[in-house]
Amino acid sequence: MEPLHDLTIKKFHEGLINKKFSALEVAQATFAYIKEKDKEIGAYLSLSEESALHEAEAVDLAIAKNEEVAELAGVPMAIKDAILVKDQPATAASKILEHYTASYDAGVIKKLREAHAVFLGKTNMDEFAMGSSTENSAFKITRNPHDLTRVPGGSSGGSAAAVAAHLAVAALGSDTGGSIREPAAFCGVVGLKPTYGAVSRSGLIAMASSLDQIGPFAKTVEDAAIVFRAIAGHDPLDATSQDSFYKDLTAPVLENIRSLKVGLPEEYFVGGTDPAVTAEVESAIKKLTSLGITFKKISFPHTKYALSTYYIVMPAEVSSNLARLDGIRYSRIAGRHEDAMTLQDLYFAQKGAGFGPETKRRVILGTFVLSSGYYDAYYEKAQKVRALIKADFDAAFKEVDVVLAPVTPTPAFKIGEKTSDPLSMYLSDIFTIPANLAGLPAVSIPTKPAAALAPKELPVGFQLIGKKWREADILGIGQFYEKIG
Amino acid sequence: MASAINKRELEHLAKLARIELDPAEEEKLLKDLGEILDYFKELQALDTASVVPMTGGTDLKNVFREDDERENTDRGAGTDAFPEKRDGFLKVPPVFEN
Repeated sequence: MEPLHDLTIKKFHEGLINKKFSALEVAQATFAYIKEKDKEIGAYLSLSEESALHEAEAVDLAIAKNEEVAELAGVPMAIKDAILVKDQPATAASKILEHYTASYDAGVIKKLREAHAVFLGKTNMDEFAMGSSTENSAFKITRNPHDLTRVPGGSSGGSAAAVAAHLAVAALGSDTGGSIREPAAFCGVVGLKPTYGAVSRSGLIAMASSLDQIGPFAKTVEDAAIVFRAIAGHDPLDATSQDSFYKDLTAPVLENIRSLKVGLPEEYFVGGTDPAVTAEVESAIKKLTSLGITFKKISFPHTKYALSTYYIVMPAEVSSNLARLDGIRYSRIAGRHEDAMTLQDLYFAQKGAGFGPETKRRVILGTFVLSSGYYDAYYEKAQKVRALIKADFDAAFKEVDVVLAPVTPTPAFKIGEKTSDPLSMYLSDIFTIPANLAGLPAVSIPTKPAAALAPKELPVGFQLIGKKWREADILGIGQFYEKIG
Repeated sequence: MASAINKRELEHLAKLARIELDPAEEEKLLKDLGEILDYFKELQALDTASVVPMTGGTDLKNVFREDDERENTDRGAGTDAFPEKRDGFLKVPPVFEN
């Protein structure tokens, strides 16, 4: 069998159909490796070994019968704990959902089941996807596989670390302000946030509904494209989802890619960014130039308002989405319920004990910006600035096809470095937030393969932001970048 | 824009959000929210009088579904997940005090 470290979806599929190994063998080997390695990484919150082995056996049976199987059949995948997999825990890394077991499959999980993917378990995250380091998990921290003293990024830190440490071949995360792209950059893997509406949000424990999208983590851009193709499309249970009839997501044509014009927004290349990040992103631009891609300087005048806008719109949506988590419907914290309590007392006690500090901060902030007397000054103002930020992109996309930018201002930071100062943590998302506000697809790609990193060098990612429904452009450039990388 | 929230306002917000806060949490929140709201001041400088607010993530309007039978989700609520239930119904404490 090929070593787990070398397995991409592509290689796994070839090995499987050529009978070099069985899906069961790979699943068993992956669980054995998780049990050894995840003690130091902490990527998983729960494992589903029994059901995963059954899923793998079913794929092997189909292969034995010479049935045609999907490219994702048997692929061992990790799923962020905010995404519901029927009969598995779904805590969103929060105490208030500690005992909740999902009663149905998320839309994306239904689609992956049709492709016969194998679900290894649920991964650690910042509580309710609120954070940029996975340190806001109520249960444990996750460590960056490239440097165990550093964070994996967040909020989908467990999924990013699982793929980077070969504890899964691919994974799903969710991205509200950068929660796929930032951990992908920190862990040296590929992470895609799709166009808003490209992927169903049904069964994703909602954080901010106008911003959330589910997307893949993978070792290569091609693998990310394969997972994205499988999960994209309309779902009757998410009224904002739609079919987009993607073509050419894999096997891009060089002629088409060369004809794309890439914009470099000056506001993303100013002071404050770590020199290591700047140097790596510049080297990525050079490599893309050598492919024949042309660049053009552009300007996004409202970029500097994106962080404020996001930290008004998002908490507002958080405060209403999290109202349902009340200790009554999904899970209850023991010791915070007495028979003498009224319903309202129970809400206060359960939310007080069940929500962590960042969750409380955002629910209170969201309640404030929506409250009478402040709504116009904060929430409506932010919705207007959101329109201006989107208009910046609309104007730029008249001149260019794709926008290139850094993913993060710094490489992975130290565990504990930013936990006491929420504003400095929020600034980690400064380059990723605009794509969410504008609903655009964006991919984070490592500037170099993990094997090419010098000792102690931390991974850095660059970001490609595309037009709505044009994942093929950003994934196409990415696939050629990897060929020359 | 007022740039700070005082203790009384914070307690009111916590009440609206049904969250119990202890004194240490209140103190930390007052400090954090003060800094965050201060940061938001930059938005004031921007003239948005003629801008139409972007109220969501999608351009879709009037999305309908076919009016036919849907997958049974057990009364739509996943009743098996209720921490406390009786005869398939959600059991809750009294709404009013005795």
